[in-house]
Amino acid sequence: MRVRTFGYFFRQAVVSILRNSLMSFASVSSVAAVLIILGMVLLLGLNVDYIASDIESQVEITAYLADGLDVKQVSEIGQKLIQVKGIKEVKFVSKDEALKEFKKQLGDQGDLLEGIKEDNPLPDFYRIKTINPSDISEVAAELDNIEGIVDIVYGKEVVDKLFKLTGWTRLIGLATITIFAFVSIFIISNTIRLTVFARRKEIGIMKYIGATEWFIRWPFLIEGMLLGLIGALISVSVINISYYYLTKTVAQSLPVIKLIPFDSLLYKITVGFMAIGALLGALGSGISIRRFVKV
Amino acid sequence: MIRMFGVSKIYRNGIKALSDINFHIKKGEFVFIVGPSGAGKSTLIKLIFREELPSSGQVIVAGRNVARLRRKDLPFFRRKIGVVFQDFRLLPDKTVFENVSFAMEVVEASKSEIRRRVPEVLELVGLRGKEKSMPSELSGGEQQRVSLARAIVNNPEIVVADEPTGNLDPETSWDIIKLLQQINLRGTTVVVATHESSIVNMLRKRVIAIEKGRIVRDQQKGVYNYES
Ligand SMILES: Nc1ncnc2c1ncn2[C@@H]1O[C@H](COP(=O)(O)OP(=O)(O)O)[C@@H](O)[C@H]1O
Ligand SMILES: [Mg+2]
Repeated sequence: MRVRTFGYFFRQAVVSILRNSLMSFASVSSVAAVLIILGMVLLLGLNVDYIASDIESQVEITAYLADGLDVKQVSEIGQKLIQVKGIKEVKFVSKDEALKEFKKQLGDQGDLLEGIKEDNPLPDFYRIKTINPSDISEVAAELDNIEGIVDIVYGKEVVDKLFKLTGWTRLIGLATITIFAFVSIFIISNTIRLTVFARRKEIGIMKYIGATEWFIRWPFLIEGMLLGLIGALISVSVINISYYYLTKTVAQSLPVIKLIPFDSLLYKITVGFMAIGALLGALGSGISIRRFVKV
Repeated sequence: MIRMFGVSKIYRNGIKALSDINFHIKKGEFVFIVGPSGAGKSTLIKLIFREELPSSGQVIVAGRNVARLRRKDLPFFRRKIGVVFQDFRLLPDKTVFENVSFAMEVVEASKSEIRRRVPEVLELVGLRGKEKSMPSELSGGEQQRVSLARAIVNNPEIVVADEPTGNLDPETSWDIIKLLQQINLRGTTVVVATHESSIVNMLRKRVIAIEKGRIVRDQQKGVYNYES
């Protein structure tokens, strides 16, 4: 294909998009919608993985103690803990220390905790390190029997809960994406069909002048791909802007939660989504071209 | 250049438009296809540029059996044939120049070729100075000239015209026929379907007359009717 010919195809496509503005708008919106939902599901999933691996790497068990134990009871529990097989290190953290730690984690927002100093709701706990990270589940099960320990939390358990929660979100998200993808292919194919219909006279003339099938088809294919690309561009902008503000807000108000940094996702999502957008557009116009543009 | 052997055409709705058509049009000939409306003239023309396929028999055009043309060869086959219709079939949103250059763009001619060739053809059909006009600004005769220019701009071996003067007054019709004759004199085979006797009678070219889908007469230096 000559460069000039491509220019001709491109102009045809742009003219059609502008002429069919309503259908073009519907096509672009549907692609943008699919990709925005895809973006949300993707970012949720990636962040859960990210947070999960962060938590999993912490081979610590936190054993929360019942409220109102005296010093003797607490140290008894400590003695029992040390005797459990597989435990390397045991450290007591009082509720006051816990509050201080928490305050430190919150950073700038630490002042928020000022008010609760008097009536600290945090429990005392033991921070336990295992000799072998892979033994953590068995060790944790062992601790369950010790009196005075009310709750045991360790990374893997949190991760499992997190995954259970996001499993459903993912499933629903993917189902929605699939449906929307079909809808947008359908809308695009209808848009292209309208263009083909509007230009049927020209197509007829092109045929008996001796235009090749692909010469006639390219402008429609480009039109579909352009619609998909514009939709992708919109979704990428929306996702990037939203995620930028999300990471910023979370970093300020909830520094405990570490989201994937904004910059490292931007590029991949942009490139990937443009490709998906163009693909949706090509599929949509492909359907109409196959049916309605024959030499 | 154009041969038909025992050709018949039955449309999908069961109408038999042509039956047992046999003729041979040689390179450089000028031929009228005549007959009353509904005789099958348009169907015959459509068989030539493979708009339709014969139901039986062989259609050989420019050395190719049209029924055996592969889909990917079809465009290149059609480039050998220029087609002119009664209703001109110009693109209303393109200028005269663009309507003609469009035919060259479609076959991916270079820009310099287009710049050289289009004015040459417009000159030939007598439309010099109308390059920038829109089809709606032209008379019927002028529009048909544009469509003629488009048909010959890629130097086809054959020009087929289906009722090219059907929408024109007698004087303008005569101009168009003279142009077709001029194109023929440059070596192009020309086939004109018409039901206008005056033109046919004046030119005295070969006449193939069809009625109800059959050839009733094939005559050199013919006239429209025996009677007239
Ligand atoms: N595409 C078509 N489908 C069905 N019947 C057709 C079609 N085109 C033409 N016919 C029929 O075939 C016969 C010949 O038509 P046509 O070739 O157009 O004749 P002419 O051009 O001499 O008037 C007519 O009866 C017409 O109704
Ligand atoms: Mg006819």
